[in-house]
Amino acid sequence: MKQLVVIGNSAAGISAVEAIRKVDKTSKIIVISDEDYPSYYRCLISYYLAGQVREEKLLYRSESFYKENNIELRLNRKVMRVEPKRNRIILEDKSQLSYDSLLIATGASPKFPHLAGIKKRNVFGFRTIKDVKEIEKILPVAKNACILGGGLIGLKAAYALKKRNIEVKLIVKSKQVLSQMLDYKAAGFVQKKIEENGIELIFGQDAVEIIGDGELKAIKLDSGKVIGCSLVIVAKGVSPNTDLVKDTPINVREGIIANEFLQTNIPNIYTAGDVCEGFDLVLNAPSVNALWPIAVEQGRVAGQNMTGQGLKYQGSLGMNSLEFFGLAVVSLGIFKIKEDDPNFEEIKFLDEKQNIYKKLILKDNYLVGAVLVGDIRNSGVFLRLIRERINISSLKDKLLNENFGYPEIMDLVNQKENLYV
Amino acid sequence: MKQLYYEVKKCLGCKSCEFACALTHSLTGELFKEINKEDPSLPRKKVLFSKGNNYPVSCRHCREPKCVDACMAGALTYDKEKGMVLHDESSCVGCWMCVMVCPYGAIRPNIKTKLPLRCDKCKDKDEPACVSACPTGAVIWKEEA
Ligand SMILES: Cc1cc2nc3c(=O)[nH]c(=O)nc-3n(C[C@H](O)[C@H](O)[C@H](O)COP(=O)(O)OP(=O)(O)OC[C@H]3O[C@@H](n4cnc5c(N)ncnc54)[C@H](O)[C@@H]3O)c2cc1C
Repeated sequence: MKQLVVIGNSAAGISAVEAIRKVDKTSKIIVISDEDYPSYYRCLISYYLAGQVREEKLLYRSESFYKENNIELRLNRKVMRVEPKRNRIILEDKSQLSYDSLLIATGASPKFPHLAGIKKRNVFGFRTIKDVKEIEKILPVAKNACILGGGLIGLKAAYALKKRNIEVKLIVKSKQVLSQMLDYKAAGFVQKKIEENGIELIFGQDAVEIIGDGELKAIKLDSGKVIGCSLVIVAKGVSPNTDLVKDTPINVREGIIANEFLQTNIPNIYTAGDVCEGFDLVLNAPSVNALWPIAVEQGRVAGQNMTGQGLKYQGSLGMNSLEFFGLAVVSLGIFKIKEDDPNFEEIKFLDEKQNIYKKLILKDNYLVGAVLVGDIRNSGVFLRLIRERINISSLKDKLLNENFGYPEIMDLVNQKENLYV
Repeated sequence: MKQLYYEVKKCLGCKSCEFACALTHSLTGELFKEINKEDPSLPRKKVLFSKGNNYPVSCRHCREPKCVDACMAGALTYDKEKGMVLHDESSCVGCWMCVMVCPYGAIRPNIKTKLPLRCDKCKDKDEPACVSACPTGAVIWKEEA
């Protein structure tokens, strides 16, 4: 009997085993996770901390899922090393496990900068249910928090803590929040909302030291300013969990490099999700696009290919959607270009009063990116124009019209229309 | 499995389907109460105009629904038997991932309720409200081809 091993019990790993079980009911499947919690909706941990989602709602797949699908789940077990030559993995307790086919879906972990005091108590990452439960424990005695990093995770953490009546300061090295998904203009709308809701933003400064003997007392910024706080969340991006393939023949750049079949350079080892460096359709280059829907998509393709279906993964692109104090924001593909770059064309709409800002970025008559603030209708249609590389020269002046929608692109997409008769 | 089809040539763009949709999904269920409300119920269907024709646009309940994959809160599931994407409002956090990935732009955000507006084929009724509301018979409710 074949043995299929999946490292990672989250979006990518579970999607893979579901795809495997669709066609293969007999192979032995073992899923391993170093977390001791059953699989959960990782993206909801901030909502949980905010008190908006109950713990039961975090559960992604219940125990019965593993039973019904005949999957052996091993929680709280860390894989230390993959040994491709011997087709086996080594776990923390030195035990070994062999595989016929392996999926590495180990996700990513928060990056912690090398700062004096970063290891102090009450300095947290914001990635796991464990992080959030520990943060929760100190909330009754915490008054104020500093969050390092103005990305999506930092903002979500800030929102959650604010909802729990903690005074929050967000320390952002760059000049804007969400610099990985929004341009300066769009970020301005989000910042306004954040500040209106009582979260303080500090731009252009970075933490240099975390102060306190034993207990955390304050953080020091590079400007010399010292801010007192009893809680620090580090949200300065994530890096793929690739340690387990270090010093193996498996190719790694930022993430574990996958080909179009989501296979590593070792044929019986696959990779998917936040740890996977796959192909980016917009950048036309390898990239890690660390997103829930992409992890699900890639996990499925990897799983299908572990059962020999030989399916090609189309590639992914950077995108995200967020809602902040009633402001909806979507970013797709390329969101910022160098000023006056002749290779690109921008189409914009702005209504400051209504908090609406829309920008589309085109290259050679193809849509390559979009930023939508306050009005995110049709973002899926834009995503499609990007993904399917549709020439939009005939549509340019319509894209941001009130009446624009799928019917306008119906004749251009790679799919026959059958509802409109 | 029944599905909504549209005979585009018959569609006048009168938006009766939109009104019927909004009304059916309203709490009051009464047109005059609803239009005088501060935040009236919103339609899950929109009629869009393109190249001389009108096209009612709403969730198609795709067989391989992108929105279900994208839902990071477990609020969306695909029910094979019903041929429908089901939305569990109690699990939805209003992150708009479903809006972001819908290839038809058929899901719209309701910012006030923080819930996406999407066709539910009028769940417990024999046929969706838009079908009988259409004065020209452009909305067709029939078994999937
Ligand atoms: C607060 C927060 C908000 C987010 N919001 C969004 C959002 O709005 N939209 C979006 O698209 N994405 C969002 N994300 C990102 C999303 O959660 C990830 O893209 C997704 O979880 C990736 O899934 P994955 O299966 O690849 O990896 P992960 O979910 O990271 O799971 C990997 C698993 O493998 C385990 N593991 C790692 N190494 C080992 C090892 N050596 N041995 C055993 N087990 C191991 C990990 O502990 C983990 O359980 C958010 C993330 C966070 C933290």
